[in-house]
Order: sequence, then structure tokens, then C-alpha cells
Amino acid sequence: MMDRYSPLQMVGIYLCLAVFLTFILLPFVEMFMASLRPLEHLFRSPYQFWSDDFSFEAYSKMWDTVPLLGRYIFNSVFISTAVTLITMILVIPAAYAFARLDFPYKNATLGMFLGVNMFTGAVLLIPLYRVLQSLGLLNSYWAMIIPGVAFLIPTGIWLLRSYLEKIPRELEEAAYVDGASRIYILRRVVLPLAIPGLIVVGVAVFIGAYAQQFLFAITFNQTREYQPLPAGIFEFIGYQSVTWNEMMAAALVGVLPVMLIFLFLQKYLVAGLTAGAIKE
Amino acid sequence: MATLDIKNLAKSFGSVDVLHDINLSIADKEFVVFVGPSGCGKSTLLRIIAGLEEVTSGDILIEGQNVNTHAPVERGISMVFQSYALYPHLSVFENIAFPLRVQKLSNSDVKARVGRAASILQLQDKLSLKPGQLSGGQRQRVAIGRSIVRNPKIFLFDEPLSNLDAALRGDMRVELSQLHRELNATMVYVTHDQVEAMTMADRIVVLNAGMVEQFGTPMELYHRPETKFVAGFIGQPNMNFLTAKVTAASAQEVRVDLDGAITLALPLAGDTVQVGDPVDVGIRPEDLRIVEDGGFEMHVDVIERLGGVCIVYGRIGANETRYCASLAGDARVTEGSMIKLASDPANFHAFDRAGRALHRLNVSFETE
Repeated sequence: MMDRYSPLQMVGIYLCLAVFLTFILLPFVEMFMASLRPLEHLFRSPYQFWSDDFSFEAYSKMWDTVPLLGRYIFNSVFISTAVTLITMILVIPAAYAFARLDFPYKNATLGMFLGVNMFTGAVLLIPLYRVLQSLGLLNSYWAMIIPGVAFLIPTGIWLLRSYLEKIPRELEEAAYVDGASRIYILRRVVLPLAIPGLIVVGVAVFIGAYAQQFLFAITFNQTREYQPLPAGIFEFIGYQSVTWNEMMAAALVGVLPVMLIFLFLQKYLVAGLTAGAIKE
Repeated sequence: MATLDIKNLAKSFGSVDVLHDINLSIADKEFVVFVGPSGCGKSTLLRIIAGLEEVTSGDILIEGQNVNTHAPVERGISMVFQSYALYPHLSVFENIAFPLRVQKLSNSDVKARVGRAASILQLQDKLSLKPGQLSGGQRQRVAIGRSIVRNPKIFLFDEPLSNLDAALRGDMRVELSQLHRELNATMVYVTHDQVEAMTMADRIVVLNAGMVEQFGTPMELYHRPETKFVAGFIGQPNMNFLTAKVTAASAQEVRVDLDGAITLALPLAGDTVQVGDPVDVGIRPEDLRIVEDGGFEMHVDVIERLGGVCIVYGRIGANETRYCASLAGDARVTEGSMIKLASDPANFHAFDRAGRALHRLNVSFETE
């Protein structure tokens, strides 16, 4: 790689990156610091960045304060995984159809999918509540999974369609000439080649599902056992006190495993995207 | 057997007419090449035969049976694509086996048939590799292997050699001709390269602007081009054209006047032209030779010495058109000099205003 930037420019670039990253990461640092302090130290004035009595006590006490915490973390991951799987099952054939087939109102439908994205879930909460109520799905996992899937399908289709369009048409034509059906081509030719794209879409959908479940959980579900972590974390807000340190600890414990999985997946993702790109 | 007939075929994409009134009759075991400039419709015609595009009107018959609505596999064709279209995630073995896997053949059958294809194409030691690990020529062979395992009635090739370098292209031409003899199958081959067309074809279809200009053997096309387009397209370097006026025409001879300077008496059938008609006189560069007296005076601009032949480019008279002569390798010419060129009257072609050739009388050539 050639040195395209002067040292001064490099300093500038890193400075900007540092400011940007500080803004994004500082809340996490503060979460971590808060989780290490005894509760009474959190309200100390003046603010102390460092104190001598850091401990991991909150990480063990939080399981007693909120006994269902483990269940909430599991629910979060479970709901997001279910949303991702169902979304992918629906999105793959749809995206392939939009990428390859010709049918009436194709662009209009695509535009409508984009339009759906402009509504936030909050706007549609009341109609959704009525729908789920009449289907008898309130207070179940489905109450969080179905709206999650519905709101993530448009993004999934748009992302995957543009990826599938890049797969050379001749590969599919060759398979078609050899007698393969559309489904066979999709399964044996298109999907294996689209794995990096599927991972990108899968990750995007999973993150989306993880982020949006809070809204659906507090509106459509009253059953404690089904609550995901963002809703369950409310239980740290007690009648007399809010155990902020334990809440922060619980949030970190809930989010970290998922973040680590994605760090690992990202490596795989980059490897998948560059495989075969060199000397084809 | 595997004959292919195309009747009154037309194809348009929306309001754009790509092919008009194509009529071809391809015999069993024949190697036919579609050749023409970019955008002439040759690839579209091949894709229609393959079943990848539908006809707008007209019929495709394979073995006498109308296959207009048949899927490619029901037509009994196989196709080799320009980009090879190998599946990058599958091994060479699985690439070649793909059509058999679609047919759900047993593993032992698949092994036997892939093995046979691999031995014809000398790919036995490459079967476990991925396409990305192969050279261009090997990928090409894998693509051919995939097309032969199914024992199709008709092989279709869409510019299969255009991604290879020149040396490899020469080798693959020979291999394909050999393969045609070994498989004894009907083959239709699309190319824009007239050398491929001339060397491999039993018969050539010259396409231009969606129409068949001429359908004949390579030697027919070379010696008796029916149109000015074919005359200019076939032959390397291209034929020279000079504008002329007819001064006398009979069934045995046509006299023409070139720019008022030279009069030629050409052995052509002149029944379709009249005195005073403008015609284009054509002469192939390789038919020209240097003479001491008479002939055309050419001002030499550029000389390309290729060893065996020496190709001379220059201008004749005040005409700005560049003409070309292919002379002996040791021809004594220098750039910037004047040379005199002439040829036997029997070597000349002439084309009327509509581009139709006047029939050449004293021409003899070998036909296979």
C-alpha cells in the first residue's frame, strides 16, 4: 500500500476518529464504570472518575435483585434469532424474485416496501395491538416476533436484492439450459454464491430485531417470563431505589455476548467478501 | 438425426427489431458458425435456438419437431457461454456433473460419464480443483465438459474463445474442430472473429443488422460473396473498394471506368446493371501485385512487414480512402514512395448500388 497521506493528515484523521469513537464508546465506558461502583457512590458530588472501592459485587447481586434476569437475556437472544430466521426464510425467495423475475408492478411493490420502512413501529402500535389481540397472540413470544419480522422484511429485501443482482446471470442461464428448475438454481447456484450477502443481511436483521424488540415487548406482552432484556431491566427500578449499578451490569452482560459474536462474524464476513476476489 | 431448421424467424425487444426473417437449414453433424459485427443479432439468434429467449414470430425445428415452446433441456441442446459460466463454489467434477445431478443420475453413472468427458478433454487430474484455480483454457474445457456429459443433439457455443489470449485461441480452435469430429454432433458456434469462422466452419452464416447476408461454405463466402458486406467482412486484410461507372455490360463481361482514369474489362455477368450505373469494384489485397507499367498508382503511407507477407497501406489518386495491398514478404517498397499495382481481371468483384454482387464467371475454388 502506498502512503497516500502525509503525517499531518494522518494525525488529523486519527484525531477525528478519536472524537467520533469517544462519542460512541463513552456511554459504554460509563456503563462499565457505574457497574463497578457501590450504589451510593454514583450520586457523589463532585463526580469522581476513579474511586478506590471498585468491585464486581453488582455482577453477582443483580441475579438476586432480578431473579429472572437469565431468562430475559435468553428471551432477547431467542426472539432476535427467531425473527432473523423467519425474516430470512421470507426474504430470500422474495429478494430473488425481485432480482431476477419480471412481473407486473415490480417497481411499485419495491417502492411500497421502502415506504413501509418510513413508518416507525410506534406509529402502528395501536393497529398492531388490535391485530394481535384479534389473533389471540398478545402476551406470547409471537407478539414480539411477528411485528419484528414484519418491520424487517423491507430492509432485508432491499439489501439482499442488490446483492443477488450482482451474481452473473449467465451462471443461472447455464443451469437453466442444463435443465435445473428455478428452485434448484436458487438452492444450488444462487444461495451458495450469496453466502456473504446472506450474512450481511442476517446480521443487519438480527441487530434490527435486537434493537426494536423493546417497543413490542412493553406494548404487546405482559407475561414476565417472555420479556426480553430491555423490558426486563425495568425491574431494577424498585419502589424505593433504583439499583443503577446492577442495571448497568445486567445491560452489559446481556449485550456483550451478542457483540462478541458479531465481532467474530465480522471477521468471517470480511473473509467471505474477499475470497476469490484476488486472481479470479 | 439432429437437424436444425429456422423458419421466418423474427425477434424484437419492445419496439427494437433485432432479427428479421431468418431462414436457415442446418444439416445433421454440421459445424455452422454465425459471424457478424457486434450487435448484428448473432448471439440473440443463438439464445433463441437455446430457448433462453422466445421468438417473436417464426419457428425453430429440431429433428423436424417444432420446439418453440420447449425448455432448453427438452430441446436436447447444450450451451457453452462466453464467460464459461462455471460455478465458482463447485469443484471441476461437480461443475461437469451438474447437468447429471439435475437429472438425479446415480453416483456411479455420474462418475462414469464425468470420467469419460474428462478424458476426452484431458481434465482427469483437475477434477478436484475449483474453477478459480484453473487457467483460462482449462476453464474453457470444463465448460465444454459440462456441455458434453448430457450427450445433447446440438451444441451451442457463444463466443467461447473470446476471453482467451491469441496463442491459446489457436490451440482451442484446433481442439474444437477435433472435438466436433470425435463427437460427430451438430454444432452451432457464434463468433465475431472471421478467422474462427473460416477455420472451423462447414458453413458460415454471415449476419448483418439482424438479417442473413449469406449462408455458405467458407470458400464460397471468400470467392463468391453475394453482397458487398460479406465481401468486406470476410478476408484479412479487408477487401478494397473503388467507385466506378459501368461503360458497357453484357452477360459475359462488364466494362467499368474507375474515376475516369482506368478502364477495366471484368469477367462478370452484367445482366443486372446498365451503362452509366455506379458500381463498387472490389479487389482483395492479396490479389494485388506490383507492376512496372499501368495499374493503379498508390502513394505508400504505411508498411507492415510480417515476414511472409508485406502489407502496404496507401492512397490512390486524390482519393482519401486508404487502400491496402498484401505483397510478398521481400517486396521492394519504401514508405512515402509511389508504386503501381495491378491484378488479373478475373480477381475483381463488383457490386451494384444495392450492394448485390455481380456474378463472377471465371472463378474456381475447392469445396469440401
